[in-house]
Amino acid sequence: MRYIDPHIHCVSRTTDDYLYMARCGVVAVSEPAFWAGYDRSTASSFGDYFRHLTDIEPKRAARYGIDHYCWLCINAKEAENVELSREVIKLIPPLLDHPRVLGVGEIGLNKNTRNEITVFEEQVDLAARYDQLILIHTPHLEDKHKGTSIITSILKNDKRIKPERVLIDHCEEHTIRIARDNGFWAGLTVYPVTKITPQRCSDILETFGTKMICVNSASDWGESGPINLTDTCLEFMSRGHTEAEATDIFYNNPCRFFRQSPKWKLKPVG
Amino acid sequence: MQDAQATLDRYYLEMRWRCLSLAADFDRVERLAGGAALLDSDPRIKKLRDAMTLLARPGANRAEHVQMIFSDKTPPPR
Repeated sequence: MRYIDPHIHCVSRTTDDYLYMARCGVVAVSEPAFWAGYDRSTASSFGDYFRHLTDIEPKRAARYGIDHYCWLCINAKEAENVELSREVIKLIPPLLDHPRVLGVGEIGLNKNTRNEITVFEEQVDLAARYDQLILIHTPHLEDKHKGTSIITSILKNDKRIKPERVLIDHCEEHTIRIARDNGFWAGLTVYPVTKITPQRCSDILETFGTKMICVNSASDWGESGPINLTDTCLEFMSRGHTEAEATDIFYNNPCRFFRQSPKWKLKPVG
Repeated sequence: MQDAQATLDRYYLEMRWRCLSLAADFDRVERLAGGAALLDSDPRIKKLRDAMTLLARPGANRAEHVQMIFSDKTPPPR
């Protein structure tokens, strides 16, 4: 079975992970810009990071037959520094035509602060002005429900934003309705301790249906890994769902969302 | 899809394991100095107790309701 990891931070992963993914049938990934585990001191650090995302990782992935795409932004955590954020945002427009860039992301909120909201609104404006897809990061743990509500409220109030061109990621049992009921795509992240398990992910798919949902590993520098997505495929199919149903979720759904960018080449199958 | 009995049979040992893990977590805190008082006063433990009470009641959407016990319900910043 072929599948796609629609959210993975390959810059933080080893080459062995690419090998593992290739062996398991991963044929494409998308990598949003995110927090490196420390706050960067200058905008030029982000310039180098964007070059890594657009030029270096696609080549590393291609060695294993994996098509690598990315998203650009300043992440919610470093958005607390509004002045730095504005310098970083200025770097983005010239890169939006790059053949590996799918849109603006992962933008959103971390601790739901006023500064984060300001930078989020400015990046939504950037995406709207350049007609870009948007990938949204929702906060962790106790901040998630409130942050998801703030984010969707801002997006709904901007009439330039088409909900079907936005994916609200890291949804869980208490936030998936907020995304789906407003016409957005929803992302489910299978990640140890702080997000959902393969079992809970399969429960959500069975409870809410599989339309407009992308499942990802969000593997990064923390305890995480692409194996979580593989395990979720196995859990889903072990419950009696067919390979065709799994393919529709783990391959076709990411294709359907990403194909709204003309740069994405893979098509849904079956 | 599997039926309810088969699903319970499949997951029961994991459910038992998670329950025992939580019990051992409480014991670990309690047997240290000040542990009993902490278990009585820490607001995070209060949320865990609320969640466990919810689990003991009949009704659907338990995961969603437990999520809300652990969620910030203050208004957004102005």
